[in-house]
Formats: sequence, structure tokens, C-alpha cells
Amino acid sequence: MGDLTVKPDLVTRKTPWKKLILPGIILLVLLLAPSFTSEYVIYVAVLAVIYAILAGSYDLTTGYAGPLTFCHGAFWGIGAYASALLTLKAGLPFWLAFPISGILVFIFAFIIGYPALKLKGHYFAVTTFFFGYFVYLVILNSAKLTGGPMGLRGIQAPEGFLGLNFASLTGSYYLILFFAVVFLGFLYFLVHSGFGRMLIAIRENEDLAEATGINTALLKVLAFSLGAGIAGLTGSLFAHFFRLLHPTTFAWMTSEMIVIMALVGGLGTLIGPIIGAFIVTFILEIMRFAPEFRFIIWSLALIIILLVEPAGLMGIVRKLQRRKR
Amino acid sequence: MSTLLEVINLRKEFGGVLAVNDNNFIVEEGSRVGIIGPNGAGKTTSFNMISGAFKPTSGKIIFQGKEIQGLKPHKVSRLGIGRTFQNVRAFQSLTVYDHILTGILAHNLKLIPSKEQYEMADYILEITNLDKMRTSVVGDLTIALQRKIELATALATKPTLLLLDENMAGLTYVEINETLELLRKVNKEMGITLIVVEHIMKVIMELCEKIIVLNYGTKIAEGPPQEVANNKEVIEAYLGEESEYA
Amino acid sequence: MLLQQIINGIIIGSSYALIALGLNLIWSITDIADFAQGGIYVLAAYVAYYIVTAAKLPFILAWIGAMVIGGGLAYLIERFLYRRWTGKSRIQLLCAIALFFLMANLAILWFTPKAKIFPSYISGALVISGFTVSYQRIAILLVSAALFVVVFLFIMKTKIGKAIRAASQDRLVAEVVGININTVNSTVFIIGGMLSATAAVLISPLYAVFPSMGDLPLLKSLVVVILGGFGSVAGVLVGGLSLGLAESLGSVYISSAYQHGFAFFVLILVLMFFPKGLFGRT
Repeated sequence: MGDLTVKPDLVTRKTPWKKLILPGIILLVLLLAPSFTSEYVIYVAVLAVIYAILAGSYDLTTGYAGPLTFCHGAFWGIGAYASALLTLKAGLPFWLAFPISGILVFIFAFIIGYPALKLKGHYFAVTTFFFGYFVYLVILNSAKLTGGPMGLRGIQAPEGFLGLNFASLTGSYYLILFFAVVFLGFLYFLVHSGFGRMLIAIRENEDLAEATGINTALLKVLAFSLGAGIAGLTGSLFAHFFRLLHPTTFAWMTSEMIVIMALVGGLGTLIGPIIGAFIVTFILEIMRFAPEFRFIIWSLALIIILLVEPAGLMGIVRKLQRRKR
Repeated sequence: MSTLLEVINLRKEFGGVLAVNDNNFIVEEGSRVGIIGPNGAGKTTSFNMISGAFKPTSGKIIFQGKEIQGLKPHKVSRLGIGRTFQNVRAFQSLTVYDHILTGILAHNLKLIPSKEQYEMADYILEITNLDKMRTSVVGDLTIALQRKIELATALATKPTLLLLDENMAGLTYVEINETLELLRKVNKEMGITLIVVEHIMKVIMELCEKIIVLNYGTKIAEGPPQEVANNKEVIEAYLGEESEYA
Repeated sequence: MLLQQIINGIIIGSSYALIALGLNLIWSITDIADFAQGGIYVLAAYVAYYIVTAAKLPFILAWIGAMVIGGGLAYLIERFLYRRWTGKSRIQLLCAIALFFLMANLAILWFTPKAKIFPSYISGALVISGFTVSYQRIAILLVSAALFVVVFLFIMKTKIGKAIRAASQDRLVAEVVGININTVNSTVFIIGGMLSATAAVLISPLYAVFPSMGDLPLLKSLVVVILGGFGSVAGVLVGGLSLGLAESLGSVYISSAYQHGFAFFVLILVLMFFPKGLFGRT
């Protein structure tokens, strides 16, 4: 299983403060961004942050627990549409719809994942691919509910409180930034916790993990559903920031994009997929002017990563570190 | 001494091929039992059934008075049966310390390991003499060390019964003696009952109080080492392979 | 109406079965769910289209050309990409998916997203008691059936076919008894590529040629492989035909909007209750 993941995971090491420099700098730049950049850059930054949460939560399932999945974009989409519809059709406030959409996606992923995760090898991965495609078809074809190919409009910004206003660009930007820190912090805690250790054990050798007394079936589905749940919450944030949803945003290519982001940075490191998300979003923006080359370059990039260093940037970094020692 | 494990008419077929043939045996609490036999005799298959990796075709496995056949491996492990694998298995990317901590957390999962759990990990590292390499990455170590780490991780689950499947294969003379000493210690001090599958006769003869001999899935002899070593049927079963087991 | 739907279903189903046959061979021997076949399907269709329309050559040459391209691409992909990651199944799958996207998007770049009409190779239709089936559809059915027989005989009778069967049982043992696993791999990929190309060429005149034409046939054929059982020619045939029928009837009697989601819905449902697939092997 260690083919794609960065090794070693030196989990016993106490977090050196050096490790916090890079995330700290990124966060500082993001915090100060509204004061020195244009609106356009803020939109790109929001996308980057949202992809960072998605790639980070994807890492929990695939990087830590092991199974390759291709439906993370679908969970994101379910969360987005669930939250939008809960506010639009059921009249719930955002602050209720937001947690509910996360919980819904968690439950949904659990129900799908429990039987499907018993499949071995490519069976599970291919099934998740189908699942992602199925979700896209349902969103596209349930025109009465989702607006279908016309998209879903009229979504409201999160309600403000205590004098905070989330309708403005800066306001909603800081809201997303806040939750990005919360979610990624939660993921950081999880992967370094006992739970994270169990996931790594499962990834490294499932038979030994099971024989050691780890309930591998349950923990795998928990990792899968927790990752999905966070993607669902991110979908809700996305829906109420852009206030317009379109099915193609959640088509299968999005799931592949998340996989690529995670791979660029290096699976099984958490920070890797986050950095990968920033890099890929940046390149995506540059390539806006040549859309016909986008997917070609992505596919080629993925093959090149696999050929050169399947463990991504962090894999290269760790290799250099080990050489130094 | 009371009975810890009782195997009744245990049978396993793989698509019509008989691997274990209605075997019966008893393991007393606190004892050290060896299982020997030529390749394909059904030793590992028996282990796999006791540890839950395989479901028996028929028969019963009774551990501490409870039927455990067909339970999932992690449930069997939590009841107090630890094991190691014939082909060494390890969580390659973990450090030695984390590898052992994983065994401790496996039975009592805490998001943040407790002080006792950390202390337990230190204790296991100390008794297995792995203390010096606690921050080494398991995958970088030799197979002999990985076998030892696998054994240490099984010990970390605080088993009542420990199944060792050729844990000493490929070890040097010195390493074998070290492991033997460790096994005697955990048997005596921690009260762990041992069942050992081993091709190295020195290990079996020095460690075990009772030996079970399997051949083509069937038990052909059972008894104290000296008695079994002089058993005609056993000698016959090994004839031609003598050099390997001398 | 009902009979017409059944016939349509069988014809579509036989094209799924054709692709699934190649995918199944590849999957059972190399453990790769070869998404790249979806890309091969698209490129082969364009090759055939240009041979017929631009070079004005007969259809049969277009078919042969497509098979050469399909088999050749599949061979090269296995030889120079998948093979270097033997045993690293996650990387192989990611590479397969990347290749699928690459080929489909190269088709957009080279041939534009606009659908092209593939001229029909046989005109006319069979009319029996009030309903009509075009000869083209009948040709699909006959060619698929013939290819199933050919592949079946190839696997059962030839030396390399026996090696393939041995390898699908147990790769390690096959290698130990002296079967060259690389030759086996190359062979199944070439067969798979040729079958995908054939399916594309047969279906194109019915639905036109466009860059995303490979998406649904590929995914549905993968469903057929998962549901229809491993290494079983009969399972693929039954699976493919049932899916074709179910879709064709479902689109009329249930909802046409979800026609293409049907396969995935069935798959997910089946896996909920039969986590090891319908035929037990995982």
C-alpha cells in the first residue's frame, strides 16, 4: 500500500515549531490579502482555500487509511446542494443548514462506504467513481429540485451576528478562512491522534492491523465518512459564498482534480495536499486562457507525477531530509 | 492448571482440498506448546482459524470457555489472543515506538494516548530490548528486527495466549537465544501462554513443554518433547527431510 | 413497442458486453480496471471515421484500421506504463484514469467537440410483422456474437489462450510453471484494445462520433465486469445483455432522464446486499 504515500510518517516526533512556519506564512498572507489585493484575487483565494480543505479531507481517507477513492467532489456537491436547498426550500437559516448538510453527507458516506469498503483492490475505487458519476447525474436530472443544467440561483449569504456581516466579500472571505483553519486543525489533530495511528496501521498492513485488534472495517468507514462530512461542510460554505450552483462544478473531473491536488503535494502528510491545492488552483487560474489544454495538461501532469515521484512534493522533501540525516 | 484453549474436531477444506483434518488438542493455561510438521501439514491454517483469519469448515475452538470459531480477527485479538505471521508483517512507515504504541491503542483506542499507555510502550521496548531503536523507521530495519517488532507489538496487546508462526525463521543463533529468553520471561513473568509453530528444532525442544505433530492436516502425535522425538510415526513423517530439521 | 425496446436493449447490451469482455480479461489477469479503454474507444472511432469519410476507403478497412490503432495503443500503454508499476495497483489505476481523460481531451483538441455523423455502412432494414430493425443493428449483433465465439475459441483452444486461463487462475503459479506473464499481459491488452475499437466502430453510425462518446460505454462496461463475474465469458454476456435490456426498458417504463444512472444505481444497490458482487469473487 505504501506505493503512493509519503514515508516515513515520523509521528512520534514532537511537532517542531519549524513545521508551523509554512502554514503560518500561508495563513498570514491569506489574512492580510483583502487589504492589498483585488476582488479577483480574493475569489481565487477562496477557491484555493476550499480546495485545500477538500484535498486535506481527501487525505484522511486515501492518504491515511489507504483506499483510493474518486468521489470526493460528489460529497462536496451533495453538501453544497443540501445546504442550498435546506435554506431555499425548507427555509432554514444557514447556521442550521451548514451543520445539517455536513451530518447528512457523513451519514450518506457511511451507508455507502460500509458495504463498499469490503470490496478489495480496484473494485472499491471503481465503485466510488460510479458513485461520483451517479451523484452528478442525479443533480443534473433532478431539474425540479436542483434546477438541473440551469443551475441553482438565489442562495443567500450566511446570516450575520454580533455585528459581523457575511454578505460582503471580505466578510464571507474571513468566514471561510475561519472554518478552513477549524477544519484543517481538526484534521491535523485527527491524523496525529490515536485514531490517525490506527489508520496508518491499516494502510500499511491491514491483516496485521486486524490481528492486532483494530476494527479495520469500522475505522476505514469512519475515515471515509469523516472525510466526506468535511467535504460536505465545505460544500455548504461554497454554496453560500458563490450563491450559485451548477452541476458541472461537481462533475467527475472535480473529484479527479482533488486527487491530483493531493498527489502533487504528497498523500499521507496533510500539509502536502494543502500545498498541492494551492499550486493547482494557481495553475488553473493561469490556464483560464487556454481551457482546451486544461485537462490535457492535468492528465499529462498526473502521469508525470506517477512516473517521477508518486509521493509528490512532500515525498521529495522527505527523501532529501532522510539523505541529510 | 486449567484449560485455556480447546480445539474440538477442527477442520478446514479449501475447495475440496483438506488442510486440517478434524484435529483435537488442549492447551493448558501458562503452558508452552509447540506445533511441528512438514510443510503443508496445516500448522499455519490452524493458527489462522484460531486467530479468526479463516473460518473453520467445521469444529469448535473454545477459548476461556467461550466458542470463538468464526469471530473476526480483531475480536479474537481483543479476547486476548495475539499472533505473529509466518511472512513478517509490519507497519513499515511507523517508527518502532509508534508501532508498539499501535498495539497498545488497538485494544483501547484513545485520541490522545494516556500516560499509562505511553509507559506501557516504554516497558515493552525495554523488555524486548528495542529501546535503542525507538525512533527508527520499521521499514528501514532488518527482517530479523521486524520479526522482533511484530512480536513486541503482539505483546503490547497484553495477550493471554500468543501464537507465534515461525517467528524465529532467518534469525542468527544469538538472536534465537535472545528471543527464547524473552519468550521464557513473558511466559513466566507475564503469564502468557505460548503456542509456537517452528521449523527450528532447537527452539521447540528447549522452549516447549508439549509438542503437537501434524502431518497432512492430521495430528499424528502429542506429548513431551523427548517422547515425541522418539515417536516412530513422527520420525517417518520427517524421513527424507531429516537434514532440514536436525 | 415493447419488442422494439427489447431488440434495442439487446443490441446496446451486446456492445457493452464486447467492451466488457476485453476489460474482464485485462482485469482478471493484471488486476487493472483499465479506464484507458474508454479513450481507445474514442480514438478508434475517429480513426474509422476519417478512413471512411476523408480517405473514402471501404468500411471494412476502417474497421481494421481502428482495430490496429486500438490494439496498438493498448499494447503500448501496458508495455510502457502499466508494466513498470506491477504490484502497485493504486498507481496503475490512477494512470489508467489519467490516460482516459488524456485521450478524450486530445480528441476535443484535435477533432473539436462537435459530433460527426458516421455514414452508415449498410442501408435498409428488416421488416417483420410490423416492426423494423435496421440491418446496421443486426450487423452489430452478428459481429458481437461472432467475436464472442472467436475470443472464446482463442482462449480455449490456442496455446497462449491456455496460458491466459492459467494466469487468470493464479499469476504466481503460472509464472512458476514457465508461462511468460509479459506475453500474456500484452495479448490480453491487444485483445481488449481491438474489442473496444470494434465496439466503437459498430456503434458510431448509430450515435455519431464525439469526444465524450467513450464515457458511458466505458463506465457501464465496468459495471458489467463487476456484476457479471470474473474471468467468465458467459457472465459478461449475460451481464451486458441484461444491462442493455434493463436500460432500454427502464427508459420507457420508468424514466428516460435517469437512463444512464440506472447502471450505477443497480451496482450500488447490489453491492449493499452482495458486497462480494453477484458472482462471489472479490
